[in-house]
Amino acid sequence: MDKEIKKLATHARTGINSASVLADLEKIYLEIFGKSGTFTNLTKQLSSIPKSKKPKIGQLLNEAKKEIEKTFEQRHNFLKKKRPKEFIDITAPGKKLKLGHLHLISQAIDEIVAIFSKLGFSLESYPEVDWDWYAFESLNMPKNHPARDDWETFFIKSAPKPHFGSQVLTPHTSNGQVREMEKLKKPPIRMLNIARCYRRQIDVSHTPMFHQFEGLFIDEYITIANLKGTLNYFTAKFFGPKRQMRLRPHYFRFTEPSFEVDVTCGVCQGSGCRFCKSGWVELGGAGMVHPKVLEAGNINPHKYTGFAFGWGIERTIAIKTGIGDIRLLYQNDIRFLEQF
Amino acid sequence: MNIRVPVSWLRDYLKANIAAKTIANLLSLSGPSIERVEKRGDDYIFDVEVTSNRSDAFSVFGIAREANAILTNENIKSELISPKGLNLPLEPDRTNPLTLDVKITDHRLCPRFTAIIVDNVKIKPSPAIICKRLESVGIRAINNIVDISNYIMLELGQPMHTFDFDKIKNHKMTLRPSREGEKIKTLDGKVQKLPKGAIVIEDEGRLIDLCGIMGGENSQITRRTKKVVLFVQAYDPQTIRKTCQALAFRTEAATRFEKGIDLEGIVPALSRAVYLTKQVSNAKIASELIDITAVKSVEKTISLSLNKLKNYLGVEISVEKTTKILGLLGFAVKTTPQVISAVVPSWRILDVKDDVDLIEEIARVYGYHHLPSNLPEGQIPQGGESDLAGVIELKKALKYLSLTEVISYSIIAKELFELSKTKEKEAVELANPLTSEWQFMRPTVLVSLAQVIAENQNIEKDIKVFEVAKTYIKNEGDLPKQDLMLAIAWQNADFYQIKGLVENVFEILLRIPKFQKFTGENHLFEKEEVAQIKVGESLVGTCGILNDQIIDYFNLEGQVAACEINLSTIYQLPTFQLSYKPVPKYSAVIEDISAIFNQKTLLAEIIAQVKKAGSPLVKKVDVIDIFKDEKIGKDKKSVTLRLTYQRSDRTPTQEEVIIVREKIIDAFSKSFQAIIRR
Repeated sequence: MDKEIKKLATHARTGINSASVLADLEKIYLEIFGKSGTFTNLTKQLSSIPKSKKPKIGQLLNEAKKEIEKTFEQRHNFLKKKRPKEFIDITAPGKKLKLGHLHLISQAIDEIVAIFSKLGFSLESYPEVDWDWYAFESLNMPKNHPARDDWETFFIKSAPKPHFGSQVLTPHTSNGQVREMEKLKKPPIRMLNIARCYRRQIDVSHTPMFHQFEGLFIDEYITIANLKGTLNYFTAKFFGPKRQMRLRPHYFRFTEPSFEVDVTCGVCQGSGCRFCKSGWVELGGAGMVHPKVLEAGNINPHKYTGFAFGWGIERTIAIKTGIGDIRLLYQNDIRFLEQF
Repeated sequence: MNIRVPVSWLRDYLKANIAAKTIANLLSLSGPSIERVEKRGDDYIFDVEVTSNRSDAFSVFGIAREANAILTNENIKSELISPKGLNLPLEPDRTNPLTLDVKITDHRLCPRFTAIIVDNVKIKPSPAIICKRLESVGIRAINNIVDISNYIMLELGQPMHTFDFDKIKNHKMTLRPSREGEKIKTLDGKVQKLPKGAIVIEDEGRLIDLCGIMGGENSQITRRTKKVVLFVQAYDPQTIRKTCQALAFRTEAATRFEKGIDLEGIVPALSRAVYLTKQVSNAKIASELIDITAVKSVEKTISLSLNKLKNYLGVEISVEKTTKILGLLGFAVKTTPQVISAVVPSWRILDVKDDVDLIEEIARVYGYHHLPSNLPEGQIPQGGESDLAGVIELKKALKYLSLTEVISYSIIAKELFELSKTKEKEAVELANPLTSEWQFMRPTVLVSLAQVIAENQNIEKDIKVFEVAKTYIKNEGDLPKQDLMLAIAWQNADFYQIKGLVENVFEILLRIPKFQKFTGENHLFEKEEVAQIKVGESLVGTCGILNDQIIDYFNLEGQVAACEINLSTIYQLPTFQLSYKPVPKYSAVIEDISAIFNQKTLLAEIIAQVKKAGSPLVKKVDVIDIFKDEKIGKDKKSVTLRLTYQRSDRTPTQEEVIIVREKIIDAFSKSFQAIIRR
């Protein structure tokens, strides 16, 4: 028996060491230790030998098994490590998967929405072709009011509707104000509206279509201090904590008091340069919602107050990135789009 | 509108020992904005933006009044000095005064009309200081009389005019609306052909003034003028505005008349003009004051609750401070412990109407920069996230799927609109387009994307772009249908690539799409290479290959696969719910099966047959290969399917698999006359 064990061990070693690929090695292993493998068969014979010899033979079998397994282990490691090593130039370009690009406008919208959604604002959508009523009349801008000249509005060929008036391309996102009040029926309102707007003008800083974003916040006891707090929060998050925000008096029909919102110039950090007005850049407009607008939206102005703010997305992009001619944003030159 | 204010002139009325830059900064924070401070010689010029409601601040004195209130509030010593002569008595200096016969046919056109005649006038250049001031704001000095009218306008914001009295025929004036086509030669030497309803003055048969805009040449001041009519009015703002729009011609005077005039400031302005005329040319008053007032101005008192003021500001301002601020702005104030009553000064009557207007006056002069800054508290509104948050996520996902986003104009040219073959009754057309390039609201985004590819195809190959935007379809009697669309265009891709991308999109949107034969009218895609997409029973989009007409129009290289998906509709539909299924405990048997089918046999039908014949053992069917070759026969295709046989209690046996496979093969040959490839 012990001879047989030695013979098997020698045979197994030769077999294992002659295997040149892992698959062969596994096969040889099964031939030895499998269900009817050579070694397995040998252990089966253990039951038929005399009791006195059992411990000795058992020990021999164990030693042989350990030895074969060790040989197997070594051969396995040897074959496993056989993958050729090559010189790798880690500075050569990697093989990338292709990514696309998000338009600068969408990136800005994404950032703005993320900031305001933390304050409980939710993004809503309203018609871009809307009634005169929502775009002007309900916002305290009666027909023939000179303030309406500033908006340079596009009109749609269609018959006017009683009370609602003509169809216009919304020249600002404020058409969402009374619509949101009608939708929610009562405050609290924390609405964001980002939409395409249209005005009859084109030059370096104007395109006939542009994007505006607007926030509307209505609740009990809402103050100018709250408006300041909200805009300070936004400018710090969007432009960075070093930029300051200020409110200046302004005039809009749908807010009272009305403000112009300025941020310190990113180029000179507020000391004054040729890109800004004495260190400040105009961001947009804001104000406390005019009581007449609340009334138009069936909200009691004696109980509720609120603020609204809004500005052009293109403008914030220009302030942030330094793109001088905003028409670039709509030329869709792939070399421009792929920069972002 | 912006006005230019020389600081040296401002200091005539604003006595404050403080630097020009400081005045500019404080004014910007609390009043009209100083957009630029320009150094000019030893003086500074402020470039001031005055909002259209502040007609009272369109003047040097108006700015001084604002500055005085604002500086005083900041505890800077300041005093407001009125120009000399505002209260000069307007009585004739001679015993038999001259007369001017004035008739006004419609008093609505001219709420207040004043005039006075001066004689003994000697025309010469103005004193140096007047010339310098006019020129520093861009107005050419002409002579001592004409310069006074410009000077008064800049100083007090009240435009005025001067006539040569001797050139007014019969010394008669009729102020009336113009008739269509009437002509007048104005001071600039141009002949204006008037629309109906402009305000004009006729003497006897001649128009001598285009009121509020520019005087007539026939009655102007010349070197020989001896007697002058000094002329100060208020005109109906709307009429002036409409006339300027109709003539496409606007003057500094007209701009001020359009904003509205302080009716109580008219006589003081005339007095000031007489005072200056006496100063610069020794003139004498030669007539009684002509003052025709159509509307008596009413005093307006506004009450503001102090509680409301506090609720708006977020901070309490003392009654004393409030009263002081309003007083500095010219309001007469009375207070009780709860309420402020303020009488609005005549120069603010058009602007300050409600208590919120008073709040603005108090808050801005107090200083927005002095107010606290707090985030609002309170309940977050009900309702939660809208679908639009999902749109942002969708756009990002498309970016990671290697698409580039474009944003193109929603207004398109007629040619592009026609390319979409939209019916006329569905067209949303602009009534007043800027140019023919922007005339129609687009009914589809795809024509714009085709254009983007056309414009970039020489720069990059196989362009793959998307846009999310609304499209517009007319809806008679109501607003147009304005649904949000996702459009994708992919150059040199085939139907299966765009279909695969659409399937990815629906995985992101958590809806299951069905692709069906297109049944509607289609003007964008090739007839045989288009599918309609449904979710449940709702039609949600189209995908396919753009037709030759579009390819030819834009001269596109290769084919363009595209889709347009209606996100507005999709977001209305329920999402599918992901549910837990146990991971199989026992391994599956996987085998491939290949067969030759007729080319037009639909894979959906083949797969349906497999599932039917193989149920319940076949758990999954994947198409792994399709190919066509002459060798396998004309109009034939070879399809290889990968079948997954699986049980939940054990691994399927060889025998089970064989039985099911035979059933499937049998079904193939019966239903499709397919030949199995072994």
